[in-house]
Amino acid sequence: MATVTVHALTYTYPKQARPVLDRLSGTFPAGKFSLLTGVSGGGKSTLLKLIAGLLPNDEPASITFDDQPLSAIAPGQRASTVAMLFQEPSTQFTMDTVENELRFALENQQVPATEIPRRSDAALAFVGITPLKHRKLMQLSGGEQQKVALAIIVAMDSDVILLDEPFASIDPPTRLVLLEKLVALCTKRGKTIILADHDLSGYQQWVDHLAVLADGQLHLLSTAETQTRFAAFTPQRLQLTHVQLPNDQLTVCLRGTQLGLTHGDRQLLTPQNLKFYAHRTTLITGPNGSGKSTLFKALVRLGRYQGHIAYRDTDIKKIHKRHYARQVGLMFQAASAQFLNVTVAEELALSQKYGNSTYFTSTRIQQLLQQLNLAGRDDRVLYSLSSGQQKKLQLLCMLIMAPAVLLLDEPLKGLDYASIQAVMHILTTVQRDLNLTLILISHQLSGLNDLVDLHLQLADHQLTYQGVRT
Amino acid sequence: MKRWHIRDIILVTIIAFFMGVIFWAIGPVYTILQAALAPVGLSPLANELVIGIWVMAGPLAGFVIRIPGSATLGELLGAVVEMFLGGMWGASTLISGVLQGFGSELGFIFTGYKRYGWFTLALSALTTTVVTFTWDLFRNGYAAYHLPLLLLLVCVRFVSVFLFGGVLTKLINNLLVRAHVLKN
Amino acid sequence: MNPSLKLALLVLIALEVSFAQVWSVNVALIVVSLGLMLINHIPWRRLLWLTLVPLFFAGTLVWSLMLRGNASPHFLIVLFTRMFVYVYMGGWFTLTTKPLWLTRSLEQNAKLPSKFAYGFLAAFNLMPKIQAEVATVRAAALMRGEVLHVWSPRLYFKVILAAMNWSDQLAAAMTSHGFVEDAPRTHALTVPLVARDWWLFGISLLLVQVGLFVGLP
Ligand SMILES: Nc1ncnc2c1ncn2[C@@H]1O[C@H](COP(=O)(O)OP(=O)(O)OP(=O)(O)O)[C@@H](O)[C@H]1O
Ligand SMILES: Nc1ncnc2c1ncn2[C@@H]1O[C@H](COP(=O)(O)OP(=O)(O)OP(=O)(O)O)[C@@H](O)[C@H]1O
Ligand SMILES: [Mg+2]
Ligand SMILES: [Mg+2]
Repeated sequence: MATVTVHALTYTYPKQARPVLDRLSGTFPAGKFSLLTGVSGGGKSTLLKLIAGLLPNDEPASITFDDQPLSAIAPGQRASTVAMLFQEPSTQFTMDTVENELRFALENQQVPATEIPRRSDAALAFVGITPLKHRKLMQLSGGEQQKVALAIIVAMDSDVILLDEPFASIDPPTRLVLLEKLVALCTKRGKTIILADHDLSGYQQWVDHLAVLADGQLHLLSTAETQTRFAAFTPQRLQLTHVQLPNDQLTVCLRGTQLGLTHGDRQLLTPQNLKFYAHRTTLITGPNGSGKSTLFKALVRLGRYQGHIAYRDTDIKKIHKRHYARQVGLMFQAASAQFLNVTVAEELALSQKYGNSTYFTSTRIQQLLQQLNLAGRDDRVLYSLSSGQQKKLQLLCMLIMAPAVLLLDEPLKGLDYASIQAVMHILTTVQRDLNLTLILISHQLSGLNDLVDLHLQLADHQLTYQGVRT
Repeated sequence: MKRWHIRDIILVTIIAFFMGVIFWAIGPVYTILQAALAPVGLSPLANELVIGIWVMAGPLAGFVIRIPGSATLGELLGAVVEMFLGGMWGASTLISGVLQGFGSELGFIFTGYKRYGWFTLALSALTTTVVTFTWDLFRNGYAAYHLPLLLLLVCVRFVSVFLFGGVLTKLINNLLVRAHVLKN
Repeated sequence: MNPSLKLALLVLIALEVSFAQVWSVNVALIVVSLGLMLINHIPWRRLLWLTLVPLFFAGTLVWSLMLRGNASPHFLIVLFTRMFVYVYMGGWFTLTTKPLWLTRSLEQNAKLPSKFAYGFLAAFNLMPKIQAEVATVRAAALMRGEVLHVWSPRLYFKVILAAMNWSDQLAAAMTSHGFVEDAPRTHALTVPLVARDWWLFGISLLLVQVGLFVGLP
């Protein structure tokens, strides 16, 4: 058990004028689940990294664990004091298999060799992933990787567990399962948990007070205010009410014939015929690791597939790569994959140079930046933006390119509520004005209702359109 | 002087792997070049033309990480990966990896790990050429070539190493400095 | 055989073979490596690959030397067989050595600091992502109307940024999993280094020396 106290913490990134955290104070009580939220770029990740001791802090005494700063704790004991679960599931492991990673973590804590197997097995059993023990980490889905990361924290028996948007790429059912495990860690084992998230669905029954990070300060909301915030994420708000089954009048833009997808010897999609329709917005949903991103990669010729894919009745392998890339564009799951330049202005200029410049005039772009709360950041280095800010800019850059078909892989990942509203508004307008075809993958459904016309669900290795026939 | 930390070690390894992957990507070009030049007995020229890309991991790692030994380590790790991926030179990649890396490291050693500009890069390209060419005199029997061809090979190699390990590395470095991830 | 010793043996022999000009020793080494690969059930496609590639490169090299050089036939045979020694020995080593076991051995037997051992390993396990990233960067550029070649600084810039990003994340994750540089650790699995390993190492080296000595003109 450990109470985390932050006292008058100020933090400024090197070479930045304004502090991100400004004399921030707050307490995260022992054995409790604390939920942290706030606008994109507010400093949540920064705060968590500072607590975990992963950013150099000039005033170590400003963060204490039961009145002890981290620097006063012996290095070998720090991991059993505080551990962090990261947003990006795949880059948090050192070893190849689940078992080896558990071993590595316990060896670091100098657990005697004879003790290690027992503790590993107990942790895997607690999280309910004993069957994954011998699997390769790289071949697990994002949700499974997060479960493994949690099992490691359980095995290390860390008192304070920090989680930075751990569910950002996790499907809703898996998210609930993970959340239950976390709550069990609080209630049954007395762990202190601090979790940062934008999507507030599923927390209502566990959290009484929401902590909001804004303007470099931490505010604890009252019970009533907390409930108001949660209300926007109730299940009714997350339904798609007007999706329909496709009818014969629609034009087909991408057609898969006996299209199948595999990874290694695992079949993700059994060969099937598949049509995507022009000038409509199609949503694809499905569990983690079912192969949604793999499908997109096949559509942009970044991955192998079985069968044929045709774009406007021409096999995509017969279209020149450069030409095709301008017709069918992909907004990648990871924002940084999209950028080619150094600053925000350069990146926008590049898109304008090759994109649809009659529609996206400079004034319109300024307007859009304003709406996305990104204005005035022209000279900022792209890679120093927060994850939400990067996501919004990435979307804008791809919209300006205005390819006939735009594929969007998790465009809402890590966005705060206001940003989602803004993004949805922009997507709807641009889609209508330019008559674009949008196909998007999203786990997060809030706010999507107005945009989506068609809904494809990936389940049991098959993609099927959902909705009522008209 | 900076010490090796876990982050730098991971970084140098990933950079080395990336270079290995990019080199793999141009593998076919190399083979075609070699096959095209072979009938006239100039196949080593293919080697000299692309060697710049292969030894680029050294100066790049040296520039990005700026810790003594980073150029050597970067090049050596690239070789290890290449061997595990079934590269074409097998066991000797390890030795040439060390030598190529050490070749570019010499450029940094001579400037005391203090200057990171054109001069260091040009010097590094020169030392790389000298060291690797000496090694090839033995390993690939270059010593048995007629002198004019030998001179041609050295010159082409220096130009290739300078273009990739020097000019290109400097341009990459400029971008990284602008992105605030490297000091000037 | 102990992985660290095996690596030392490999490098030592490769080094000697690079300078010695005794083709009978080369042939003997090729035969032994081939035998070891066959005993360890090398897939035939891999063996074919390991044979055709050096055949091509050794062939062009020897041909160039014949045309443009003054090498003796003996020297050409040495060069030709040398290439196969490198590739077959490398093939045997990678076939019989797992990277994880090798790093563990280097940490435990060769006293390589654990930060190097696990730093390498963490990056090595990222290999599939690294391979995919190069393709992704080039595709992303195409979608924005730019073509990236091997000589485009931006390709490397993007790749290095990804490398920096991942190394930051991995280092943070390792810290979070309790790894502290230069701190003592326990070992759940120990890599044995027994007298037999040393004998194998010594005798193999000795045999090569004897072969070189006898074979020298
Ligand atoms: N390395 C850095 N250098 C300079 N500024 C940075 C750096 N990392 C983050 N920032 C800035 O600090 C602010 C806070 O970023 P942080 O990532 O903590 O926000 P966040 O609340 O986690 O946002 P999000 O919800 O989008 O993830 C942002 O304005 C961001 O641009
Ligand atoms: N490079 C790879 N090597 C091996 N397996 C992979 C690789 N990339 C993905 N996979 C596996 O393929 C499966 C499908 O991955 P994909 O990324 O398409 O899932 P997804 O449906 O997009 O999931 P998510 O919702 O988590 O993004 C996963 O189980 C993943 O582990
Ligand atoms: Mg964040
Ligand atoms: Mg995905």
